[in-house]
Amino acid sequence: MSTLGRTGESFEARARARTAGMDWTLLGLTLAVSFFGIYMVRAATESDVSGDPGFFFTRQLAYTLVGLVCMFFILRLDLEWLSRYVWTIYAILVASVGAVLVLGASARGSTRWIDLGPVRVQPSELGKVVIAFVIAVVVMERLKSMDPARLTLMVLALALLPAIIVFLQPDLGTSLVYAAIALAILWVAGQPITHFAAIGAVLLVGVALVLYLLPAVGLNVLQPYQVDRLTSFVDSGSDRSQAGYQLEQSKVAIGSGGALGKGPSGATQTINDFLPEHHTDFIFAVVAEMFGFMGGGLLIAAYFILIWRAIVIMRLAATELERLVAAGITAMLAFEVFVNIGMNVGIMPITGIPLPFMSYGGSHTLTNLVAVGVLLRIGMRGRAAQAGAV
Amino acid sequence: MASFAGVALVLLAVLVIRLWFLQVVSNQGYQQRAEANRLRTIITEAPRGAITDRNGKALVTSKEVLNLVALPQELTSDAGTRTLRHLSRALGHPAGYFQAKVAKAQKVSPFEPVVLQQDAPPALQAYVQERQAQLPGIELQAAYQREYPNGTLAAHILGYTGPIPVESITTYREQGYLGDETVGRAGVEGEYERYLRGIAGREQVEVNAQGDIVGRGVISQSAPRPGETLRLSIDLDVQGALEKALKAQVVSSGTSTGAAGVALDPKTGAVLAMASYPTYQPDVFESGTPREVRRVLTSPGRPLLNRSIGGEYPAASTFKAITASAALAAGLYRPGELIEAPGSVVLYKTRFRGFNNEAFGPIALPKALEVSSDTFFYALGDRSYRMRGWPLQEWSQKYGFGSPTGLDLAEGESAGLVPDLAYKRQSCNRKVDPINCSWRPGDSINMSIGQGNVLVTPLQMATAYAAIANGGKVITPTLGNAVVDTDGRVLRDLISARASRALGLSASNLDVIKQGLLLAANGNEGTATPVFGNLPPAFKVAGKTGTAENPSKIDHAWYVGYAPADDPKIVVAVVVERGGQGANSAAPAVCEAMAADLKFDSSRCGTAAKTN
Repeated sequence: MSTLGRTGESFEARARARTAGMDWTLLGLTLAVSFFGIYMVRAATESDVSGDPGFFFTRQLAYTLVGLVCMFFILRLDLEWLSRYVWTIYAILVASVGAVLVLGASARGSTRWIDLGPVRVQPSELGKVVIAFVIAVVVMERLKSMDPARLTLMVLALALLPAIIVFLQPDLGTSLVYAAIALAILWVAGQPITHFAAIGAVLLVGVALVLYLLPAVGLNVLQPYQVDRLTSFVDSGSDRSQAGYQLEQSKVAIGSGGALGKGPSGATQTINDFLPEHHTDFIFAVVAEMFGFMGGGLLIAAYFILIWRAIVIMRLAATELERLVAAGITAMLAFEVFVNIGMNVGIMPITGIPLPFMSYGGSHTLTNLVAVGVLLRIGMRGRAAQAGAV
Repeated sequence: MASFAGVALVLLAVLVIRLWFLQVVSNQGYQQRAEANRLRTIITEAPRGAITDRNGKALVTSKEVLNLVALPQELTSDAGTRTLRHLSRALGHPAGYFQAKVAKAQKVSPFEPVVLQQDAPPALQAYVQERQAQLPGIELQAAYQREYPNGTLAAHILGYTGPIPVESITTYREQGYLGDETVGRAGVEGEYERYLRGIAGREQVEVNAQGDIVGRGVISQSAPRPGETLRLSIDLDVQGALEKALKAQVVSSGTSTGAAGVALDPKTGAVLAMASYPTYQPDVFESGTPREVRRVLTSPGRPLLNRSIGGEYPAASTFKAITASAALAAGLYRPGELIEAPGSVVLYKTRFRGFNNEAFGPIALPKALEVSSDTFFYALGDRSYRMRGWPLQEWSQKYGFGSPTGLDLAEGESAGLVPDLAYKRQSCNRKVDPINCSWRPGDSINMSIGQGNVLVTPLQMATAYAAIANGGKVITPTLGNAVVDTDGRVLRDLISARASRALGLSASNLDVIKQGLLLAANGNEGTATPVFGNLPPAFKVAGKTGTAENPSKIDHAWYVGYAPADDPKIVVAVVVERGGQGANSAAPAVCEAMAADLKFDSSRCGTAAKTN
């Protein structure tokens, strides 16, 4: 073999070492759905900005590319090392979501962004991955030393502090994601089932209080539009609010798509703007209108495989910390997929949760790609550890 | 751990099942809703057809106006309410005025534009155009409105237009109406709605959520089709002369509450004029103020009542021609027979008086018609009572009394009343006066001079005399002449297919009656000779006066006649309520109408007569 061959070998070896244990299915699906999402954003928004049919498309493409770059850096991130700074990270999270409340830019009645010169970031989005990490660290460090009930309370408190701040922005959907992440980590950590029963009971009472009892005595915890959104899925036809209209138009878009869809140019619900938020929260309805049951069903199947790969990675995880982080991220993705598509098809309340890898949005796209990056790294380390053990 | 995958599988399977339900099971319904979202129909109004007289002179036309309208979908919010309140006040209405209008209209068709004000004056147009930005959901829309170049002329014939009434909206929708059109509601506007209506143009376009036309634009299109022109048999000049004459008689009498008259072409049944006084402005419901509308609806003179077809009056002496027909046909009287006509007669122990108790000695039928002898006809009435059968009733019906004539203005036409045994049985009071529940000699005797319970409309009377004038043909009076296009080409003949039937009176018997009617207008002792005796020979009139006793104590005045007597071209019947003796107020109006039709100088008409 020649010198050329040797250098070739060395490159191949290096590449193989770098990608050892890579979950190609997860990576491939993430890329496929992300680029399909970019295509859908373009198809849905071509006539939205006059004179610039690619306005949302170029931005979403840029967000995705930035997200992919971050994802590949994350592949080298050592979570054990990072866990030394857990409280600093938590403080930054709380401070940044708090800052949004104070100085944030607002859109449609809620304040979710901080202006950083040319870009606007939504700290609460990145906070989803951060909170998964922080809670995983806290649980891992205390699981064997702390009383289980006190640990559960502590975790809930840690999750609820930023969640409440986010809720006040107001962004109900994201705060619900925080709660889902915290609960999933507690569950995977093996906390007693009675804790979840108690939390469930408190939640029920809380929902009853917020939606029915407190308003009855004149205390409105939720904004009127939030109440509409939460209750309109029960009977959207009778609801004349914005949320009821959105849901009806979403159902009309999906229902009219039929088995094979109306194609990108025939999707009048989307193109003619009857379906609001068609590039963000309701992009699934666009897929279903353009590509029918076939397209919508295939997309749901892709999400199922994606979540299944995340669960496989969680099982492979080399350390308890990584297992818990993987659990939080898996729960986040699964929760978002189910709640978003559920609200598109009218079986879940409208809570403003975007669809991972599909909905338009910089912070949200970045967050999901970073989350996948974390999962991929956990998977690689897990496979390496297994190989080492054998 | 596998349980996580299981949970995920179940949850996502739920989504797939729901997706299947929406997209495959319920696809059709949602597809229709998506189409309803994207398709909008733009309506272009088409003008309603014009109505003209027999010579093509305009009676009603359509003019294009701008209406102030509200688009209800864009006014549902609080801002919409504010806009409507603001506009109401700006135009001098109570604050809730337009909002109530919109709410009312929305009950019928929730998405159609609501007309706030018809025919917006230029100042209002400018006001709205300048403030377009502050008045979202308020627009000026082109529409057509009826215009009446002759004012109230022929109001009762023309009728009026108006919005489709809520209670009959489904009937109209079955005939292809949308529900917000202006339709003919009365008169020939209603009767000939199917020809007069314009068919609005429809253009189907694709729109986006903001209502802008997008993409493929026009999807289907049909041009607006203006309504066809209705040519009436009315002659504008005769109509004008008759209306003027009726009004003059009512006003000059001082006691009269109204008058009606009908002029027919006895050969064809064409209605040359049909008038009723008091009258009303036909566009009062379209553009009148609330006060004007209330006055039309509640005035004691009942201006909306078309007296010439809906007014029922005792026939009085004009009925003697019918009694004569019955007596001649039934053989109760032979031409040439003389009957004693004293001032009064006692029959069945009851005294029946003639008019003014005037005695004429033994006279024949023509003379009896000339002088309008009551006692002569009492004798004929008595003879008809004594014979088997019911010749007076039978001949009344042959002449068309007791049922509507079949005029092409079905709404509002009365049947009148031909009293018979059944009527007596049903109308009498068994407890107080049981004998009156049978047909008694006095009933026949009173009926012979058109009193008792005989009730007729002016149109029935004109139709009956038309049958005498035309030699025994009972025609169906007709207002419509033809449906024509804008160039005057006839699209549909409305008159020649109208039914007629034979009266069944022999020519010789008819001649006896005609002779009497000619004498009544021209003879030395003719009751109407003072009015008609001075006419040129070519326009000799034959006819009969009538003085109808009625509950009001002041008699109704009748005259019915035709001219020229030897070849009748026009028959006119006039009744002046509480107008006194027939020749005094009714006959001059008849003469005026005849003068307008036959083109003779109306100053040849006399103004007063003496009797009955």
